[in-house]
Amino acid sequence: MIFRGGRAGGRAIPWRPSSVYRGVSGFRSPVDRLPDEALLSGLATGDPELAVVFVRRFQRRVFGVAMAVTGDEQLAEDVAQSTFERAWRHAQIYDSRRGSVTTWLTTIAHNLAVDAVRARRTEPMAPEDLDAVIGVVTETPEQWALADETAAQLRAAVARLPREQARALVMAGIYGMTAQQIADAERIPLGTAKTRIRAAMAKLRTTLASPKRGDHVR
Amino acid sequence: MSGDMNCGRLREIGAELALGVLPGRERAEAVAHLDRCANCREYVRQLTLVGDRLIGLLPEREPPPGFETRAARLPARQAPAHEAPAGAADRAFRHLRGRARRARLRLAAVATALTVAVGFAGWGIGTAVEEVLASSAPAAESELMLVGDMTSTVGGETVGEVYAHPGTPGWIFVSVGLTGPHASYTGKVTCLLEHADGRIVRVGDFTLNGGRGEWGVAAPGDLSTLSGARLTMPDGTVLATAHLQKGQVVEPEK
Repeated sequence: MIFRGGRAGGRAIPWRPSSVYRGVSGFRSPVDRLPDEALLSGLATGDPELAVVFVRRFQRRVFGVAMAVTGDEQLAEDVAQSTFERAWRHAQIYDSRRGSVTTWLTTIAHNLAVDAVRARRTEPMAPEDLDAVIGVVTETPEQWALADETAAQLRAAVARLPREQARALVMAGIYGMTAQQIADAERIPLGTAKTRIRAAMAKLRTTLASPKRGDHVR
Repeated sequence: MSGDMNCGRLREIGAELALGVLPGRERAEAVAHLDRCANCREYVRQLTLVGDRLIGLLPEREPPPGFETRAARLPARQAPAHEAPAGAADRAFRHLRGRARRARLRLAAVATALTVAVGFAGWGIGTAVEEVLASSAPAAESELMLVGDMTSTVGGETVGEVYAHPGTPGWIFVSVGLTGPHASYTGKVTCLLEHADGRIVRVGDFTLNGGRGEWGVAAPGDLSTLSGARLTMPDGTVLATAHLQKGQVVEPEK
């Protein structure tokens, strides 16, 4: 499937073609130079060196997602560890034609983090955390723009969203809150929450579909 | 919610579907529609890409010290290279389930076991806890305990973990996988606990095989004052030490 499932059942991993290898700095051995997909394939063999390299390569990305969602270092560490366990467990069924390893891993981490927060507390996020996350996803430092133009355009598009739409987008897309939860948190009608999510996503979709027209988003 | 899902309705809820936040019944209806509508599938695919890109904007963060070792140790221990071919994953995972969960969860199970097994000086965690875990109902575990990474006295690497539960009864759990010159050591080691007031208490012995071992024991006395732990060989050589800190541990189980 191409869509994400409900949280309880996990979600299908969205796939997109990706053959781009984003290497890491500080190469220390030939194994460090393996493309992500090859490294993941090797992980399934139980090779301890590959496991270390795999974790080293992705741990900051995975932990970053977990921290952003949970806001709790200990919980985020548990989520990150579970993410790598799942990666190892499912390494053999990963299909590189359908998406990058980075996206695959961050999707797993995000699902686990949302589930962990739901299991632990009734409030998915603190208001101050929401503002902070909106801040970091709309930052557009020059080096980021140079490294990933699409990401930079997406950041800019999020920054241009009306504040209430950006909040709804982050609540749903980052914290995994339902429209009803957003409505409750924002004290707005359910229909309004749904409209905000839909409007924000539509604008970002337009940005990704036509990157050069990203500045047309309103 | 109406059961009449059509393209128009799908376009209204597609964003929530793509973000994985659509309630169950609506989601089921939407999925059924996608199965027969290629245009809507493409629409949701694009929105899913947006959601993924959004998550990709989150900043990287440096995990706590020792995370790399802990995270990499799990797969490395569980799947011998010769067992890797297709079809082995499920078997390996079944084996992994008991061992690859966080040691914190193991500890919760050990604590439960100890309530009915007080009097045993110690036992091999490997088998006993597997059985406890296998029969444990999924639950969210929350306990106050002392935790610390076991650090090699030779190379300074993180080689294991120590957990202490200062309850009644108190208990200790040690997991170690030595590296360096003692990586192949097979034999008895002694676990010593250090209290904040300087007292050092021998809590028991256990066996390492090829530098690896896991061990749990009921520990008498007040464990809340523990400050550290160390493992020594019979000749007194200190293999590894740990500095213990208090932590509230929660293990959500799915």
